[in-house]
Amino acid sequence: MAPPTGARPGWSRRAQYGLFFSFLAIVAGVLVGAVLLGLSIYAPSAYAGVRGVALDVTAPVSGSLRAVTSTVTGMVTGAENYWDAARQNGALKAQEAALRRQIIEARAILNENAQLKAALQLRERTPVAVANGRIVGSSFESQRRFAVISAGRSDGVQVGMPVRAADGLVGRIVDAGATASRVLLVSDRANVVPARLLRTGQAVISTGRGNGTIDVRPLEVGRNPFRRGDIVVTSGTGGLYPPGVPIARVMKLDDDGAIAVPMADPADASFAQVERPYEEAALAGEPAAPTTNAAATGPVDGGR
Amino acid sequence: MGRSALAGKSQIGRGPRTIAPFVAAISIALASLLGLLPLVAQVGWGPSFGFLMLLAWRLLRADAFPGWWAAPLGLWNDVVVGEPIGLSVFVWTLAMLLLGLADRRTMWRDYWIEWLLALVLLFIGAVVRWHVDALMGAHNEFHVIWPPLIIAVLAFPVAAWAAARLDRWRLGR
Repeated sequence: MAPPTGARPGWSRRAQYGLFFSFLAIVAGVLVGAVLLGLSIYAPSAYAGVRGVALDVTAPVSGSLRAVTSTVTGMVTGAENYWDAARQNGALKAQEAALRRQIIEARAILNENAQLKAALQLRERTPVAVANGRIVGSSFESQRRFAVISAGRSDGVQVGMPVRAADGLVGRIVDAGATASRVLLVSDRANVVPARLLRTGQAVISTGRGNGTIDVRPLEVGRNPFRRGDIVVTSGTGGLYPPGVPIARVMKLDDDGAIAVPMADPADASFAQVERPYEEAALAGEPAAPTTNAAATGPVDGGR
Repeated sequence: MGRSALAGKSQIGRGPRTIAPFVAAISIALASLLGLLPLVAQVGWGPSFGFLMLLAWRLLRADAFPGWWAAPLGLWNDVVVGEPIGLSVFVWTLAMLLLGLADRRTMWRDYWIEWLLALVLLFIGAVVRWHVDALMGAHNEFHVIWPPLIIAVLAFPVAAWAAARLDRWRLGR
């Protein structure tokens, strides 16, 4: 049976017009949506104010709920810890002894490093912490990877600043409200971080894959330099991220690169630290083009 | 006649609530708020709760709310959840439009056809989102849309159940 030529609710002109105008209203809604979407794709700064205010209003809600969930998970893990306390105690003691030996070694290296740097008269910049914030939520409804932290412009946070946790790099600020801001995580596809392999010092590039893992690839074509368990750290190229911050650990090799998992899991790290960009110029907009590897580090600030 | 008086619950004074015309919209707006749950995830696996609720209501009743309300509800979802502003406005009103066309084509409706329609619309929404992400600089591989899409399709019956319960409540049945 062919469909009727039109949805006619009867002979009433009023009902017919009503149906027609509601159809027009929906079409208008589609068009308005398309225009708004086009604006947020091609002129994202147009909504900076709205998004900032929305963050300020919604982050405290997530924040207060977050306290509840972390208490519950804390109770569960606390009970788990009691479950095999004796075995854990032994393991921790062994670990502590190993760490103590490593600390002594590291201290010696640090000393030597300081002497060598003094000899070379290297200018040392220590990253300055701007603010600390709780990680209160994330974009779990989307394949873009964002987290919301409870620190905003009133704490000195600005769009573009790098964010790190104790374990490693978290990402960078993309939206800043007065009391809360949104972080583009390193596992997001649009977040490209210039990095290097900790073991060999080889320059690599780290790109999120949108599914919680990170794609790492060497800058120079050649043999696959990765091994399972390798640590990838920031290189400081591009001036945004401070060098030497751990990003990810390699889990699986593929033909010319590797898949890695982020070191700082925002789900575990409840606190994040917002820092100044390594070079102040990086905040002004486009990162200062590095003299080497300019092509590969170009998209460092490409997202959003 | 006398039997109804013997029935346990009184049928007298029952009828649509005063807020009946707004129950659907309110429940969709509240479903959007679920996006504020403090779930910190490395993987975006969650369904868009607002969109699920909108589809559930629209598939349950074509007249639960005027179709163009999808636009302001979508804007609310974008602002609250932190999506690119305009994404839900576009996808939600497009879904209203497509379901309006589907209403004229389908000869009969049962639960399976509604689930299938929901699947198609959720897939369209996921593809639009994937394209928008790519335009905004996140060229994800296409297969990342499957796990959240499967979860959303499996979560649709829950939304449909919630919408049906709310519908009975709002009409006082």
